[in-house]
Amino acid sequence: MTAAVEVGTELPGYEVPSVSAEKMKTMAALLSDPTPIHWDVETLQALGMGDRPINQGPLNMGYVMNAVTDWAGGADRLTRLRVRFLGNVLAGHHLRVRGTVTALRESDGVRLADCDVVLEVVGGDPVVSGTATVVLA
Amino acid sequence: MGFAEADLDGQVGRAFPGGTYTVTPWRAWLLADTVLAPPPSLIGDGGEAPVAHPLFAWMAATGAMGITWDELFSWFGATAADGPVFGEHETTLHRPLRVGASYRVSGGIVSAQRKVGRRTGTFDVVGYSMDLHEVPTDGPAPGVHVATCWNSIVFPRRDA
Repeated sequence: MTAAVEVGTELPGYEVPSVSAEKMKTMAALLSDPTPIHWDVETLQALGMGDRPINQGPLNMGYVMNAVTDWAGGADRLTRLRVRFLGNVLAGHHLRVRGTVTALRESDGVRLADCDVVLEVVGGDPVVSGTATVVLA
Repeated sequence: MGFAEADLDGQVGRAFPGGTYTVTPWRAWLLADTVLAPPPSLIGDGGEAPVAHPLFAWMAATGAMGITWDELFSWFGATAADGPVFGEHETTLHRPLRVGASYRVSGGIVSAQRKVGRRTGTFDVVGYSMDLHEVPTDGPAPGVHVATCWNSIVFPRRDA
């Protein structure tokens, strides 16, 4: 996978075909997050926010983590992730993570790749953007 | 009356009570499944504990900072109804978190700045940072520094 990595290498596409409202309910419970916009359609409608629950920001961040660690070879390969939250992800959205290697370096004898990453709604706007650093094999 | 800029400055350096967070196997399985990653096996083979999803650094940091979100908002004279939103986040992992391990969480407010945007009006950007240290299983000695999580929250100040 990472043998031929160079600056400019694009990470394999990572997609979430349809964001699940059911997963948001589990996440709300795991986070003890009482914010109903993640799971209660009646509240969303009362607030004039439509009828599609809004995905939790950490889940969006998690998809980006999945994309870079799948490419790098495992969940233990991520050393740094910095992201900016740009917009909302709604239930049913089709998402894609794109990534590009921007630098290769060595630190304490470990080969590292710095990457630009973006999570976007397919056919829409970026919703998370940032940078990640992973350990290469 | 709105939250004054001087009050904002006064919160920088304020520490969270902190706490301890354990990556329990059930939580590790459910979080991985929820974030669409392969869940760790719950059937132990006696080997090294599985690596937890890296999102657990954020889960542990915010789950054991020792105050609720509502309490954190109140430090800045705000409530959830004021519409505070996540701004940025940075996780630095010195080593992976492990399923079954416990982490001591400590940290606090590291920055606070009032800004004015042409479209957004006045808002405050508050930065807070937390460190995760592994809780040793064999004694009270300080554990290894595993991760740092830095976050910013944006507080709209419609009345400023």
